[in-house]
Amino acid sequence: MFDTALTTADLIFLAKGAGMTILVTAISVAIGTALGIAFGVIRVQFGAALTAPLTFVLDIFRSVPLLIQLVLANAFLGMVLKLQLSGFFVACMVLSLYTSAYCAEIVRGGIDAVPATTRRAARSLGMSWGQDMRYIVMPLATRVALPSWIGLALGVMKDSALVYVVQVTELLKSTQILITRLQEPLFLLMIGGAFYFLISFPLARFGGYLEKRWSND
Amino acid sequence: MKKTIMATALIAATGFAGAAQADKLDDIIASGTLRCAVVLDFPPMGMRDANNEPVGFDVDYCNDLAAALGVSAEIVETPFPERIPALMSGRVDVGVASTSDTLERAKTVGFTIPYFAFEMAVTANDGAGIASYEGMKGHTVGAVAGTYEAIALEKQVQEWGEGEFRPYQTQADVFLALSQGQLDATVSTSTVAMANVKTGNFPGISVVGKAPFDTDYVALFTSRNEYGLINYLNLFVNQQIRTGRYAELYEKWVGGELPDLTVPNAYR
Repeated sequence: MFDTALTTADLIFLAKGAGMTILVTAISVAIGTALGIAFGVIRVQFGAALTAPLTFVLDIFRSVPLLIQLVLANAFLGMVLKLQLSGFFVACMVLSLYTSAYCAEIVRGGIDAVPATTRRAARSLGMSWGQDMRYIVMPLATRVALPSWIGLALGVMKDSALVYVVQVTELLKSTQILITRLQEPLFLLMIGGAFYFLISFPLARFGGYLEKRWSND
Repeated sequence: MKKTIMATALIAATGFAGAAQADKLDDIIASGTLRCAVVLDFPPMGMRDANNEPVGFDVDYCNDLAAALGVSAEIVETPFPERIPALMSGRVDVGVASTSDTLERAKTVGFTIPYFAFEMAVTANDGAGIASYEGMKGHTVGAVAGTYEAIALEKQVQEWGEGEFRPYQTQADVFLALSQGQLDATVSTSTVAMANVKTGNFPGISVVGKAPFDTDYVALFTSRNEYGLINYLNLFVNQQIRTGRYAELYEKWVGGELPDLTVPNAYR
């Protein structure tokens, strides 16, 4: 018979970790997406030359491993700026910027995918830039960008496992704590994986549902 | 003239900077939180209880230190290799992490006086009639292969010229063999010995004495230039011993004979 020292209290402990993963992911994806849309629109609107500095900064966030970003940001904020920030705040901040860098690319790609002729037609009909963005570009670009955005959100959720370095006990860290205490690594990793699946699956399905609903046929 | 003004301004500026700079001790008190690096997979010094809360000798020690400073304690879990990097990257203020005060490490961080010592203890099967380290002469003894105590013990057996030494793969194997009577005695770290005897998984064994091997002294550590804090920590360690709190914590988490934290014939 299968025997484990795992108790109900431990499962609640894991669920708390999963709650933290969801919270960090939700905040980071929300802020990151808002920033990403702004950065993406700015990049398309003002052209490559003018936005080169912004592109460069975003490229840094995309190319430096998240773990290094977290450790360096935490050390910089705490030791150089002497700010007393919670690990949770630092985690959300770094993860938001990280998300925004990827999201900006997705938004840019989405806007570029709207045919220039369509946009010119909108302007010819007397639409302002705002109306063009609101009624023409946004609906078309969102359809193109949605699958990548869902992928990004799922990616950020799994990347959020790295925030343990700034003392945020999320799902993977909770699992590791239990592994250290109970010495049942394979079983606990399976349970941790199941928790991740439970969180990710609804989001992936929701994305699929939206895609289907928004398709034109 | 210009140079004099500039020099004066520079001296004044450094003076101000010096005066305005609070040291780490002030920073900790001002922030209201003491962040301790603690290793939580090293029972009984650091571990987690059934509610997954950190407990252990080091955890209690950090709480005592925070109470003395009048701040709240934050236990930052750091694996063994992460202890000093955690301090260097500003994630913790103090290491309360069973860290051996080696000269190599002292090039990077500042150590206090030892706050704990890992002595080697002799654990024997009750039926073997061994009452001390010397009592092991002529008996079958064993330890975990490759460890410091195994090498020293094997050498001792050869020196005695009688008895037998048997190496084992894990610490649990050694205590199992001891409990089953395949071994008469073993030498291991006192904390490990007491922890295993206490579990009750190995009936018929008990810790009978100390082994005269090198003691592993461990100390608190912080940034090496924080003299104010290091002074405070040294006094704190001293007070813990003076007030009997050290003995109390030792009895609570380890049990048995209290290790001596001073080195004979030395000032510190």
